[in-house]
Amino acid sequence: MSRVVLLLRKDLRVLLRSPLLLGVLIAYPLLVAGLVGLVAGYGSSKPRVALVDEDHLPRVAHVGGRSFRIQAAIDEVGKNVHLVRMDPVEARHALATGRVVATLTVPPGFLADLRSGLHSPSLVYQTTRGGISSRVTQQVQALVYALNLNLQKTYVRTDLGYVQLIVRGGRATFSGQTYDVLGLTRMAKLLQQLPRSPQRDRVAEFVRIAGVALTQTGSLLAATANPIGLERAREPSRSSLLSAQVQAYALALTITFLALLLAAGAIASERDENAIGRLARGLASMGEIVWAKVALASAVALALGLAIALVFGVIVEAGNVVGGEPWARLPLLAVGLAIAGAALGALGSLLGALARDARSASLVAVLVVMPVVFLGLVPQEVAPVAGWISDGLPFTHAVRYFASSLYDTSPWRTVGRELLWLVGLGALFGVLARLATRRLLA
Amino acid sequence: MTDPLLRARGVARRFGAQVALEPTDIDVRAGESLALIGPNGAGKSTLLAILAGALEPSEGRVERVGGARVGWVPQRPALYDRLTARENLELFARLEGEKSAAAAAERLLARFDVPADRPAHVLSVGNRQRLNVALALLGDPRVLLLDEPTASLDPGQRRRLWEIVTALRDEGGAVVFVTQNLEELDLHADRVAAMQQGRLVLAGVEEVFS
Repeated sequence: MSRVVLLLRKDLRVLLRSPLLLGVLIAYPLLVAGLVGLVAGYGSSKPRVALVDEDHLPRVAHVGGRSFRIQAAIDEVGKNVHLVRMDPVEARHALATGRVVATLTVPPGFLADLRSGLHSPSLVYQTTRGGISSRVTQQVQALVYALNLNLQKTYVRTDLGYVQLIVRGGRATFSGQTYDVLGLTRMAKLLQQLPRSPQRDRVAEFVRIAGVALTQTGSLLAATANPIGLERAREPSRSSLLSAQVQAYALALTITFLALLLAAGAIASERDENAIGRLARGLASMGEIVWAKVALASAVALALGLAIALVFGVIVEAGNVVGGEPWARLPLLAVGLAIAGAALGALGSLLGALARDARSASLVAVLVVMPVVFLGLVPQEVAPVAGWISDGLPFTHAVRYFASSLYDTSPWRTVGRELLWLVGLGALFGVLARLATRRLLA
Repeated sequence: MTDPLLRARGVARRFGAQVALEPTDIDVRAGESLALIGPNGAGKSTLLAILAGALEPSEGRVERVGGARVGWVPQRPALYDRLTARENLELFARLEGEKSAAAAAERLLARFDVPADRPAHVLSVGNRQRLNVALALLGDPRVLLLDEPTASLDPGQRRRLWEIVTALRDEGGAVVFVTQNLEELDLHADRVAAMQQGRLVLAGVEEVFS
């Protein structure tokens, strides 16, 4: 039996004899995963935006001859953004101190410009830089989109009224004066009463064509105002708690914590127990010792990762969740768990060798695991540097691998790329760990 | 003079800026019992660990003549606390390449009278030290290196240990032991090497006792 296997069996036996340690190692990352979920939920809660109404908008405004419920439109948008009414000074201060992430100002004369229809009024938007500002900008753009949509409907209805007047005729009021409009329909009847002539027939033909064309105006106007619509399908979808991304994060976070701590603690305890000297006498090379710790991390990551995937699967199946659990993908997931566990084990071995004693190694591993995980959670578009650093650590690649292996229709490209990253990082950390083990003999 | 089983040439060890062992030459010959003596911090344990192969020298080299197998009893027991005495012995027996690890473990457990199936961390200091010595005898070493081996043993165990050590020497093996005990030096050492501040200052029983 190879020396690596002998040392691995020893480490697994030692681990199983420490049920409290094992329990904490499993429970702690799951707890952290839950907390991260809560934080992520809080992060997606409504950002506070100051609404500065310098035009004193009424609850209901009359635009284009129709009532327009401004407050209702704002309330609708308030589902995504928490709008807080403030005066200009208060809003500036709130933005400067970070109590709001943006201000949205309705400038004086806004409603008058809107009613005139001569030119489009503007809302003034100001936000902080970085952080969630891009998300808030999207929310405010959604607010303006929703307002425009309501106004477009109002304008389209008004314009259609005029078109109908031209087609059918009737009474209409412009600038306070009432007119009786003949309309194309009545005009055609009048033409029938005139003596027949080529001129009359030509005018009658124009009236017919104009009538047909104008009856199409309604749908054309609606399409011009809103070329692409968005409808929410009624079909139920998967809860975000059971989404592919959450599953991938839960798996990656758990095995990152476990593999790093186990490998770091295991290699440092070889020195604590003074066994490293006995092994170094030709019983096992430093490389074999590192390999054993990498294998330990890999084996535990594989076992625990599959257990977590199994629990997710049972919940998904029991809840009859849309999409179901991709059981057929578990072997592909298993490969990723083993390789990611090994890469993390190599990083843990490096930390353990540098820290030298088990207590310091555990502390260092705990201190390292948090930034490793949180760097991987920061969206690259928010902080590109975090993304670059995170690319040099196994966590992000593990997340991408797990999500792709479980749910991508065609995962091979992503899985292959992330596997190469994990193998490369594992090899790099493994070599560094092997070099660092010299410190264990000092 | 018999042939050496271990030959160290210019072995030295530094820990950062601190010099633990100056360049040292020493031979360990078949059939001899060599005692290393000296005050604390003199470099005895460092030299022993280097001879055992447990510590790499910063410079110099150690040659195991004819591939002589070496057993090492470090001052602080080198064993796995969460494993039982039997499991420790079986693991290291397999790593030593023993054909029957279980039989080797059983033999040593009986020889040293160590509780077999209790985790090492619950054993008494004396029992841990006995297990530490038993581990060094796996693989039938021709050279035994012992760092203050009797410090925590009772008189009966000390006597048993020296019987084993003497038998190994008498069969053509070699023993190197670190001790602070003059009686052990007198009774069991054929040759003495005295160390001070990382240097080998004396080599020979006569000089030490003169």
